[in-house]
Amino acid sequence: MITEIAWKNVWRNKTRSLTVIASVAVGVFAGVFAMAAINSSVVQRIDAAVNEELSHIQVNNKDFRSSGDIRNIIRDYDKILSVLNNTPGVTDITGRVILRGVASTAAKSTGVEITGIDVEKEKEMFTLSGKLIPGTGSYFGPDTKGNTVFKPVFIGEKLAKDLNIIRYIITADVLKKLEEKGVSSGVTAKLLSIKDQRYTSDKKFKRAVEGLLTPKEIKKYALSIREAAWSYREGSRIILSFLDMNNVQTGAAFRVCGIFRTNNDILEGTSLFVPIDELRKLTGMPAGTYHRVIARLADNDMTDDATRAIRNNLPDYEVLNWKEIVPDLAMIADMMQQIYGVFMAIILAALAFGIANTMLMAILERTREIGMLAAIGMNRRKIFSMIMLESIFLSMVGGIAGMVIGKVVIAITAKTGINLVKYSEGMEAIGYSAHLFPTIETRFFITTAVLIIITGILASIYPARKALKLNPVEALRGEK
Amino acid sequence: MKVVEINDVYKTYHDTEVEVKAINGITLSFEKGDFAVVVGPSGSGKTTLLNLIGGLDQPTGGEIIVAGHRLSELRPSELIDFRMEHVGFVFQSYNLIPVLTAEENIGFIMNLQKWPKEKRKARTDELLKSVGLADRHRSRPSQLSGGQQQRVAVARALAPRPEFILADEPTANLDSKSADTLLDIMEKLNREEEMTFIFSTHDIRVMKRARRVITIEDGRIVSDERTNVVS
Repeated sequence: MITEIAWKNVWRNKTRSLTVIASVAVGVFAGVFAMAAINSSVVQRIDAAVNEELSHIQVNNKDFRSSGDIRNIIRDYDKILSVLNNTPGVTDITGRVILRGVASTAAKSTGVEITGIDVEKEKEMFTLSGKLIPGTGSYFGPDTKGNTVFKPVFIGEKLAKDLNIIRYIITADVLKKLEEKGVSSGVTAKLLSIKDQRYTSDKKFKRAVEGLLTPKEIKKYALSIREAAWSYREGSRIILSFLDMNNVQTGAAFRVCGIFRTNNDILEGTSLFVPIDELRKLTGMPAGTYHRVIARLADNDMTDDATRAIRNNLPDYEVLNWKEIVPDLAMIADMMQQIYGVFMAIILAALAFGIANTMLMAILERTREIGMLAAIGMNRRKIFSMIMLESIFLSMVGGIAGMVIGKVVIAITAKTGINLVKYSEGMEAIGYSAHLFPTIETRFFITTAVLIIITGILASIYPARKALKLNPVEALRGEK
Repeated sequence: MKVVEINDVYKTYHDTEVEVKAINGITLSFEKGDFAVVVGPSGSGKTTLLNLIGGLDQPTGGEIIVAGHRLSELRPSELIDFRMEHVGFVFQSYNLIPVLTAEENIGFIMNLQKWPKEKRKARTDELLKSVGLADRHRSRPSQLSGGQQQRVAVARALAPRPEFILADEPTANLDSKSADTLLDIMEKLNREEEMTFIFSTHDIRVMKRARRVITIEDGRIVSDERTNVVS
């Protein structure tokens, strides 16, 4: 009966209740959706880290990472292979040779990490081969004309820019292409002033173009101009220098077989990949030796258990999982539930004042009725429960509406994505994608529902106490 | 059988610097089956007396015994239970719960007392019939006239079979016809169920129907007369 009265009381003043419900719905939707977007950037970052770069578990020579000395190699690969193969959850295994060196072109040089890989195995285990920029060649295959690339190297777009392999040039051809694409002749005329000038970075090129165009033209054409001016010479040569097994400087010229693009500027700007045998030959590393053995698991949730098992069986090696390699990312992932809780609690705390205010108005309007209820025998506990239930119903109706809207919008944007291209430079610099696909786990909704109920209870305390303080005689007399 | 005993009761209000003696040494009792009215000018203490009898207020002196309970000895929570079990209230402004139907309003106290559903339903039907609203089960207060609402309020007060009904100016907001109908119903219930009714009123129609008229002025009983009205 109390529940029924409370529910009916919610709808006594529909406009007022719907206003509160709408504000709760909007607040909950905003919280759920914002968290789904934040969560997606973390999930995507983890996926990218695991699938493009790290995999789940790495086994290193114990001293390799700390010293960086290439002579700290893994000699008993078979033993590691046997342990990994017998670890539940391990689905794929590969080995890498890792060197620190310098990459140089005629124009520039930069420090890099040179990774020797089993090309075919890595293609199965990682998604990097799929990140090839169309038109830049292939993943260790022939170039776009079908010619074999000797001593191939697969590099990131950022590194290619840093080494001046990629540049931006407005040539006559580019201007023609732009006009064909519908760029106005007024705009192409303005671009003539930077014709044939080479720009080696996005930033410089962007600045030059934006200096010539109006804000409206920039908004409309900047992306097309950047794409058209992007220039790369296939098979560009890079000299890679590093120390060999005798600690003697060595190196060789490699040809860029393809350029990959990811959302991770650090990977793109510092890592390059070459066939493992090429590095073994150049360094004098014995066949079958590696610096790092990498294992992939069937499920990310198995990471901790698998790491423990491998660590126990390989005490002479450094066994690390992705969470230990990028602890900041792991910490954010682990803290998402808490972050979400705090975030929602702040939103709901603000909404609680609105609910409390509405409840207070309702109580003041119903003074005589509450006095009558107390007079005819409704005890304090029941009056308190009735008011608390009204408050919970108000918040729950709004909360459920907000969660449903949130779920629908998340489902839609999970397919279409949210493009934050405006912030891509900053986000990609720290490894996060500027194209988000919001996602949220069911447990987040459970947390939200619990928080909403708590909000309803807290918001009812003050109005309910106010109602309990009413003296039935005065309340009945008050509005007589 | 005495239902209510009031022994030398005082009620004093302290309104800022002024002391108001609303009830000034009243001794009175009501028998089972009484159909009594308390009359007097405004501010004479009628409503205060009814509030004291109903356990809504506590006297500053004296003793009130209702259905064997000394009200001054009951804690606030016990007073609430006492009111629910022994007293039926009818208010001037009906005070029905607007979100509930006539049937639900009548069943409200029985619900609080956890009556079984079937028993509650039977009692509600019986009372709706008694007050002439057998066809208005599902009507909300806003769909009923003032007279009909007050009849529902009477049915609600009677529902849990209290010791007596306290009705504070029950006809004040009603037209003559509605007031007569209401009084007919209450007289019938008094006669058939031997229900005790104690009214406070200014309404001459109520006074004419009462079998006992208690007049108070300045918180004192001026007269207590039994009339020859035969129901």
